Amino acid sequence: MRYPKRIGRLSVPGRKVQLATAAMLVATTVAACGGGQDGASAPKAPATIPELTKDPLTLSFIWFEWPPAQALEAFANAEYTKERPNVTIKVNTVPNANWHDAIFTQFAAHKTDFDIPILDSQHIGEAVTNGNILDITDFVKQNIDVNAYNPYLLAAYGQFPQAETGKRDENASLYGLPLLGDTWTMIYRKDLIGDKPPQTWDEMIAAAAKCQADNPGVSGLAFHQANGSDAAAVTYNTVNGVYGGNLWDPKSRKIEGVLNDAAGQEAMDVLVNKMKPLTATGSGNWFIDEVNAAVAQGKACIAFNWIAASGGLLDPKQSTLGTTREEILGKLGFATLPSQKTNLVPLGGMGMHVSAYSSEANQAEALNFMKWFQQADIQKKWAAAGGVPSRTDALESPEFLNAGPFNKVYADSVPRMRDMWNVPEYARLVDIENTNVNAALNGAKTPKDALNDIAKEQQAVLDSSGSKGGGGL
Amino acid sequence: MSDPVPLTTDHPGQVASATPPEPGWSRRLSDRWLTVAFISPALLLLLAMSVFPLLWALYLSFTDYSATRGGSAHFVWFENYTAILTSAQVHLRAFTTLIYVVGAVTLQTVLGFTIAYLISRRTHGRGLLTTLFLVPMMLSPVVVGLFWRFMLDAQFGVINSMLGSIGLGQVEWLTRQQTALISLIVVDTWQWTPFIMLIALAGLTAVPKYLYEAASIDRASEWFRFRTITLPLVWPLLLIAVLFRAIEAFRLFELVYILTSGGPGVSTETLSFHVYKVAFLGFNTGTASAYGILMVLIVIVLTQLYLRYLNKLKED
Amino acid sequence: MAVSVDEAASTGPVRDRTPRARRFGGRGRSVLEVALLTVLAVVMLFPVLWMIETSIKENRDVYAIPAKFFDFKVTLDHFKDVFFSSGGGRSSLSVSFLNSVVVAGISTVLATVLGVPAAWAYSRFAVKAKKDQLFFILSTRFMPPVVVVIPIFLMYRQLGLIDTKLGLILIYTAFNVPFTIWMMKGFVDEVPAEYEDAAMLDGYTRLQAFRRFTLPLLLPGIAATAVFALIFSWNEFVFAIFLTSGDSVRTAPPAIAGLIGGTTVDWGLVAAASVVFALPVLVFAYLVRKHLIAGVTLGAVRR
Repeated sequence: MRYPKRIGRLSVPGRKVQLATAAMLVATTVAACGGGQDGASAPKAPATIPELTKDPLTLSFIWFEWPPAQALEAFANAEYTKERPNVTIKVNTVPNANWHDAIFTQFAAHKTDFDIPILDSQHIGEAVTNGNILDITDFVKQNIDVNAYNPYLLAAYGQFPQAETGKRDENASLYGLPLLGDTWTMIYRKDLIGDKPPQTWDEMIAAAAKCQADNPGVSGLAFHQANGSDAAAVTYNTVNGVYGGNLWDPKSRKIEGVLNDAAGQEAMDVLVNKMKPLTATGSGNWFIDEVNAAVAQGKACIAFNWIAASGGLLDPKQSTLGTTREEILGKLGFATLPSQKTNLVPLGGMGMHVSAYSSEANQAEALNFMKWFQQADIQKKWAAAGGVPSRTDALESPEFLNAGPFNKVYADSVPRMRDMWNVPEYARLVDIENTNVNAALNGAKTPKDALNDIAKEQQAVLDSSGSKGGGGL
Repeated sequence: MSDPVPLTTDHPGQVASATPPEPGWSRRLSDRWLTVAFISPALLLLLAMSVFPLLWALYLSFTDYSATRGGSAHFVWFENYTAILTSAQVHLRAFTTLIYVVGAVTLQTVLGFTIAYLISRRTHGRGLLTTLFLVPMMLSPVVVGLFWRFMLDAQFGVINSMLGSIGLGQVEWLTRQQTALISLIVVDTWQWTPFIMLIALAGLTAVPKYLYEAASIDRASEWFRFRTITLPLVWPLLLIAVLFRAIEAFRLFELVYILTSGGPGVSTETLSFHVYKVAFLGFNTGTASAYGILMVLIVIVLTQLYLRYLNKLKED
Repeated sequence: MAVSVDEAASTGPVRDRTPRARRFGGRGRSVLEVALLTVLAVVMLFPVLWMIETSIKENRDVYAIPAKFFDFKVTLDHFKDVFFSSGGGRSSLSVSFLNSVVVAGISTVLATVLGVPAAWAYSRFAVKAKKDQLFFILSTRFMPPVVVVIPIFLMYRQLGLIDTKLGLILIYTAFNVPFTIWMMKGFVDEVPAEYEDAAMLDGYTRLQAFRRFTLPLLLPGIAATAVFALIFSWNEFVFAIFLTSGDSVRTAPPAIAGLIGGTTVDWGLVAAASVVFALPVLVFAYLVRKHLIAGVTLGAVRR
């Protein structure tokens, strides 16, 4: 048995050799990386769909892991194959937290294992600027009946540069078509606050406060507060919209002084000082699934969630509110968001795009799929299968309105929607907002500081394009 | 060694009794040749997969390259470095990382050593005990992170449920500035205390028995023996274990990603997590590379200083 | 790192300490120590037990407040969900488990095949700047993965290795080779070079001597080393999440992480998947438990 008696010397190995190798390798690297494309812009898709292959073909999507992804795969394989029997649809899914990264790392690799990326509407700017997705303006002109849509929906999921809220710029280019529409719905306990949903934001807060006081163990509100994805940011943006604030002035690219104006400050104050105290202890990292769990466990009077993520609430297996769907529906109501100074609601949902790095055969198939998907009867079938269509006729169809209690909420919300900034810097902007709103909600910053920090940091990101070094800190 | 190689002196005899083979092609291979043939594949792999990428990162760190925006890289020389070193955002993450590393490593060293000491004093069931204590270390950080997130949930987590049953209120483990960082430290400690324990146990069981016997003849007190015999012999091993843990803790990423994703706000964002955001949110590859190079440099420099201190300690 | 503690710790045969403990410890103190040890063991093992319990609970019991420790209905549904999708057929989780087996298995074999001969060569022969080389080899293991992943990503992009199993296998091998060399060098050092010399006097070549006489003695060490490499590859998350995205390539850690962040979290499923995922590692670790202590101390501390 011997015990430790010597501790060795540490040395840096062969410095000279390493330096020489370094120099060589750096030279090689410079040569290797120099070949990128300068001034990238999106390549154009053909106006008419090229001839489709008769060979077996797999059309791949990429989305994040949630029920609509499975619904899409099942729906497309059941219906699209009636027209194209040689095609198999595969919807790849990644964790929600990894959604943007997974798609854009593949874009960065200039090689994608998907043909149709399903992008958040605000990701379009980044993808277009980098030339990652096809410009389908001509294709849309030839193949899609644009008048069948609310123009803003078409713009939100496809247009870049971003359209003004509620409008579409007919001269702007299109890069995608709507796949799944979405917005927030207010979920309220009919058995606790009554059948009639609150109409204004003030009423909503008052009803939640009363409900919380009357029902020990049940908290007044449940909403997204997490600092990942776009959780806390959407929450603030929603309140900001309702209280008449603006996220930015797109023309002058100003955020500082716009976001944190009086309306913006009031919205932050309402969120942190009036709404947050009505939420459950430790709800500061809640996102979609936690809000759903709180509702299903009967722990919230009023909750806000994305419509597309609300289906599980009616599943008796996951709910303590009832043993049948009807019983649950007796307690849960779904309504459009209350309004205050404005009636704006957040635009959610995603569009379909075509990867610039897919093979020609797959791109042709992708275009064909998109054309097929936007037909009136297919949109109705998609609605019946649990999807949220975008064509006005489908939105007004009984197939859609009867498919779920929240579908009417969506149809009513369409004219009220507002999106975030759709710029290449989106990922950074939303992270700044997320972390700061989350900090304010959890007492790590005062509401005022948080809002001013958001404005200052986001402005710096918008202004820094073109400056040297240290970008992204 | 717990004699993994059952060496005894009778082996050479067995060796000699085997029939030597016909001299084959391999006889012509000299030792020198063998050395090159055996070492170079491993070294080449490391050159390709570790050195080359690092040098590439070094080159990129002097540019404004972005992996997604395309376009060629422009040299900005030290602008990335100065921007990082002067950024208040980076200072904040460095401070968080420092608290985390010091807190976690201290806690797990104390706990790990205590457990090892207690185990080393037991006669029965040492093997079983050691094995049981090792389980957390074997789990994936992903599993550890997810599970603790579940247990630490303020509403229905088992920790708050137990606190509640002894009359304490709900603690916001993951959503308050201080508790979130403490939670990270606790979870890391839970997973890595076994590591320190293992190494300390190895040191403790290696303390020659005759030293204790000599001490017991002198009727030395328990504490005296611990201080003068046990600790000095285990100390160097423990310090190295600490070094390893510190390096690992410094690059912590998974736990933050899963447990708090840096929240609340950015208060549990470590340097690694910040690098990730710079690299993959804005794809500021140049900046992220410089950031990473700086992190590697810090590890190397601090390790050197630490080792020098260790060597000095040994000489005294 | 390049610290060496020569002839470091031995974990040796468990020595009998009873007489000493009895003479100087006293019964009261012994009881106190056992109690403290028990408490620590319970604290350390509770999360594992809770994970196992959650995996066999029905979902409504999973969320129960106050938590249910004993009286719940046992169900194996979550384990069924780990392997089979709701519509029948294999679940994507089970595919990811298979991917993990392939990636971790192949990378461990590769690291062993590359590392063991190198360790032997470093142990036996005079190599120029041996210490520097060895330090360099180890230091590559200490780079933060988040930092390494950036240039690796760019490199893989050029080589078309993004989102491939081969890409993961290569990077895991590269991370395990340094460890294998270091740990195996310790084991090779234990085998006296004289064995090979004697064999060579009998007419064996150096290579034959290594294969016939040294290698068999190294097998337990190789097994222990391989287990550590396997554990690393099996559990690795950072490279997996940034270098892969497809269902057919994804390994288990990102797949398990993907179970949260949808619209509902099925903690029972997360727990069951975690248990299934942890099981092989624990079994392997148990099989080589004798070398585990030697493994960690040697691989980490010794040269």
